[in-house]
Amino acid sequence: MSVRTLLGHLWRLHRLPLAVLAAGAALFEWALTRVAPDPAQASFVSELLRLLPQPVLRIFGDEIAANLSSRGFLGLGYRHPFLLLMLSVWVVRVASGALAGEIGRGTMDLIGARPVARSRQVAAALGALLAGLTVVAAAAWLGTAVGLVGRSTLGVAAGDYLPVIAGCWLLFAAFSGVGLAVSAGARDAGSAIAWTSGFIAFSFVLEYLARLWDRIGSLRPLSLFTYYQPQGILRNGLAPGDGLVLAAVGAVALAAALAVFQRRDL
Amino acid sequence: MSAAAIETRGLGKTFGSVLALQDLSLRVEEGEVFGFLGPNGAGKTTTIRLLLGLLRPSAGVATVLGRAVAEGDARWRGDVGYLPGDARFWPRFSGERTLDFLASLQRRPPLLRRTLLERLDLDRHVLARPVRTYSDGMRRKLAIVQALQCEPKLALLDEPTKGLDPLVQQAFYGIVGETRRRGATIFFSSHVLFEVQRVCDRVAMLRGGRLISVGDVETLRRIERRRVVAEFAEDVDPAGLAHFGEVGPATPRHVELLVSQEALPALVARLGMLPLLDLVVERPSLEEAFLERYR
Repeated sequence: MSVRTLLGHLWRLHRLPLAVLAAGAALFEWALTRVAPDPAQASFVSELLRLLPQPVLRIFGDEIAANLSSRGFLGLGYRHPFLLLMLSVWVVRVASGALAGEIGRGTMDLIGARPVARSRQVAAALGALLAGLTVVAAAAWLGTAVGLVGRSTLGVAAGDYLPVIAGCWLLFAAFSGVGLAVSAGARDAGSAIAWTSGFIAFSFVLEYLARLWDRIGSLRPLSLFTYYQPQGILRNGLAPGDGLVLAAVGAVALAAALAVFQRRDL
Repeated sequence: MSAAAIETRGLGKTFGSVLALQDLSLRVEEGEVFGFLGPNGAGKTTTIRLLLGLLRPSAGVATVLGRAVAEGDARWRGDVGYLPGDARFWPRFSGERTLDFLASLQRRPPLLRRTLLERLDLDRHVLARPVRTYSDGMRRKLAIVQALQCEPKLALLDEPTKGLDPLVQQAFYGIVGETRRRGATIFFSSHVLFEVQRVCDRVAMLRGGRLISVGDVETLRRIERRRVVAEFAEDVDPAGLAHFGEVGPATPRHVELLVSQEALPALVARLGMLPLLDLVVERPSLEEAFLERYR
């Protein structure tokens, strides 16, 4: 009962930003279907880019050939900073606001003084996070699906992107766990926002640099973005190992959030 | 012995190196209005937050309505109403939405809401507005309503009249009286002495995180010294009265003393032997008793 009440509370606090984020994600993915190269264009450009020097090819990643197909181009949209930003904003906003935000605002006294177990507060925050992630991710996929309706010449099926968006959802579910763990120990939303967004940004940059720079290549597994590679998913499906790592990180972070929040002073 | 609504044994709390509360052992009976007095920083709010489980104690235990606060089960808090000293709300929510949400979390119907709103003069137009448009006084009224709307068995009120105008304070004292008549226990922290004097059965005094004294308001007054003012028709030696108590401002014809209740008969007898013109014996106000304890 209290989880449902708290979910309703979080819904009222975050529904407008959720609508904006979902609309942004959907429009972006839809727009990519409008500008995606058709197979003939993609083939020509792909042949041209293969002439580039090896280091330049590495900057574009080892999936360059795949990226330049219509299918791969749309896959890029699922790793594009814009979509990642939409999902990050949701995770940072809700994770920081649900626990640390209530404490910093002073409203946690009103919730904490009522018959609501602290574990239920964490559960409600997690529920809101995952539900919102599902909405934004589904909106992004729907943007692709709707856009593809009018571009049958691309020869791409929207269903191909379901495993990709599932991987993306898993990645941000893991970040949600981390965000909750940070929020559970923070004194206010500001510090929780700084730490969580810092963690996501660092993870993104680490994976990007480790891919380019051999000397730090061994650090790549430390970034959660390593376990979400849309082109790989398009080629081979969602790797169980990657999914497992993301799920495990999310679960461990959630356990930490529960442990910290149960013991702390509010 | 009746059941205790609140019982603490050796309760303590430190924040880093700061000792906020030390060795608090207290028993509040069911159905009483218990005043918790102390200056700012005495540990009143810390005590209330410990009783609610918002803070984890550094030492000791607390039971509220027969349940250990430290236990994981939070259901007992459904019977508790809490008015924070500095109540904050969700600024975009309306007053009505705020009350609905908090009553829903309480898991008890808000049976007293309408009465409280009427008594505190919060009409439905005000309740329909976002809380961010409220004045401090309106926010305080909303805080009182949320604390008492679900008919709690125990109300923990942290400086409840802070920021209320005198008329609303009167209405609030009436609400406290009605709450008491319903059989609820009220734990009332304040540094406004006259209101504690007015509404409380017993009072505890706290200073620097330590309990100074506990007693009923009348007993506290009784154990404190009386102020005696004597006027004489002829000159007397004030030093001759010093063994009865503490001699305050004095002239040969006007003497003020602070004396214990026990010493009073002997003093009166002695004064009768002097050329006494006028005699005033004053019971100390709770404020004077309080200040004397804190001196």
